[in-house]
Amino acid sequence: MINDRREKVFWHSLRNTLLLLGMVLVLFPMILVVTNSFKTLEEASKSFFAFPQSVNLDNLRELLNSQNYFRYVGNSLMVTAVSMLAVVLFIPLVSYAIARNMQRRYYRFLYIYIMLGLFIPSQIILLPIVKLMSRLNMLNSWGLILLYITFSLTRGVFLFVNYIHSLPIEIEEAAHIDGCTVLQTYFHIVIHLIQPMVSTLVIMDVLWYWNDFQLPLFLLNRSREMWTLPLFQYNFKTEYSFDYPMAFTAYLVSLLPVLVVYCFSQKFIINGLTAGAIKS
Amino acid sequence: MRNKELNRDRVSFFLITLPALVLYSFFYIYSVALGFYYSMTNWDGLSKAFDFVGFSNYGKLLTNKAFFSSVSITFRYAALMVLCTIIISVLLAVSLNSIRTFKTFIKSVFFFPAMISSVAVALIWDQIFIRALPSLASALGVQTISSPLGDKTNALYAVLFVNLWQSLALPTVIFIAGIQSIPDELYESSVIDGASMFQQFRYVTLPYLVPTISINTILTLKAGITSFDYAKALTNGGPARSTMLIGIKIYTDAFGDTPKFNIANTESVILFLIIAVLSLVQLSISSRSGVNKA
Repeated sequence: MINDRREKVFWHSLRNTLLLLGMVLVLFPMILVVTNSFKTLEEASKSFFAFPQSVNLDNLRELLNSQNYFRYVGNSLMVTAVSMLAVVLFIPLVSYAIARNMQRRYYRFLYIYIMLGLFIPSQIILLPIVKLMSRLNMLNSWGLILLYITFSLTRGVFLFVNYIHSLPIEIEEAAHIDGCTVLQTYFHIVIHLIQPMVSTLVIMDVLWYWNDFQLPLFLLNRSREMWTLPLFQYNFKTEYSFDYPMAFTAYLVSLLPVLVVYCFSQKFIINGLTAGAIKS
Repeated sequence: MRNKELNRDRVSFFLITLPALVLYSFFYIYSVALGFYYSMTNWDGLSKAFDFVGFSNYGKLLTNKAFFSSVSITFRYAALMVLCTIIISVLLAVSLNSIRTFKTFIKSVFFFPAMISSVAVALIWDQIFIRALPSLASALGVQTISSPLGDKTNALYAVLFVNLWQSLALPTVIFIAGIQSIPDELYESSVIDGASMFQQFRYVTLPYLVPTISINTILTLKAGITSFDYAKALTNGGPARSTMLIGIKIYTDAFGDTPKFNIANTESVILFLIIAVLSLVQLSISSRSGVNKA
């Protein structure tokens, strides 16, 4: 019994040390980013670790005064919002059609066909797509949006088909007998039952669209005025190579919308992702 | 009447799937086919005319040292990434799941890195490597340490570290879900049998996590083999090509100063085949082990 207690204390202190170490490793860079964003370049080069001598908002002011920055924010917002809207309208509906017709050959084929995407690395699609899009005159935000919608299909359909499968079909059958069409059944009934999965999808995909680097780099890097925020952050390195307090300020401001979403949906994020993971 | 309704429903179901079918076929399947096709041409990506050359690009790559070194760097990177991800995120998940105080806060801290863009993460760590390491060294009174990114023996590990800093969050969440799905009775009866905490982990938790481990292994393996963002933003393949992951090499070959679009496509076809084979092997191994089948 005493041994037991001793063992417990041992494992618990090991666990707490591990968690503490991890938290320091996560928070330490973020604290450095915040403190240095309030410094002038001169102050930051003198001491990277010290707290700022005063709360200096010049970096923020300069950033917010640059017109281009708002253009990049706007581009990111537009791409993220339009893609997300389309995906939320589109993926659950397609999955509904597949999940409720699995006994038919076409829908079984379609499901497997879309799942093939799991085995396809992005590189093999991206190279031909850049050429394809340039021929179609689509190396722009709209092209990017179309690609996000398509590339969201595999994971989205996977999550939703499995989720809808687990829902009882009786209510839908009753609605059908009452004369509801497919779309009426979907918009009046199914859409309410799949809410938890919709929030999981929104969180995962918003984070992806907002933060994605590879797709915009392949598609938009040559045209400055179409850059999204990650492209701006990437090119920042070369353009303002030494003004890292400025760069840190830019990262922090880009993080704000995500932080707001995070604070409001934190419960959904961890629980929702957990639910999604169990289903898969 | 009944038949008419059934037909109407069938048509609407079919129409619903049509946009997905078209988009997916065009951007996924057609692009992959196009990639195969380009890999059998001599197109550099810019010239107007090009010829079909069969499998000769594949022959060229099989004797290309730079390509093999990229493949071996990528495998080392992906293997280390899988190993670190599985070990650390299992430990984190078990730890996070067992705490009682500040649970939500601490979980959120660990999930936080997943919210930031990979480019910002890479460039923040780049600055920390450049600015913080030297002052840390001088504060500790040891020899000056320079950024590991500038040194060809350490650069790959530094890139991997930054990659892991961000990418551990998701597997950890998936492991937490896996742990929560283990029936409580098993822990209760193991306590009655006098199992120690370590024995509980070894004989209850771990066997039940096998399916979750294989999901995370597949996801991480694919992420590791196709890794791009961190190396692109941190080192762009340098120094001395020591971080030339296959993803970076494909990009450089396709859009670099001397474009070799056909070669880049050949490399991505090979990458595709590697991933397909590895996923199938992994799937067949994991379907033979684990509690669900035992």
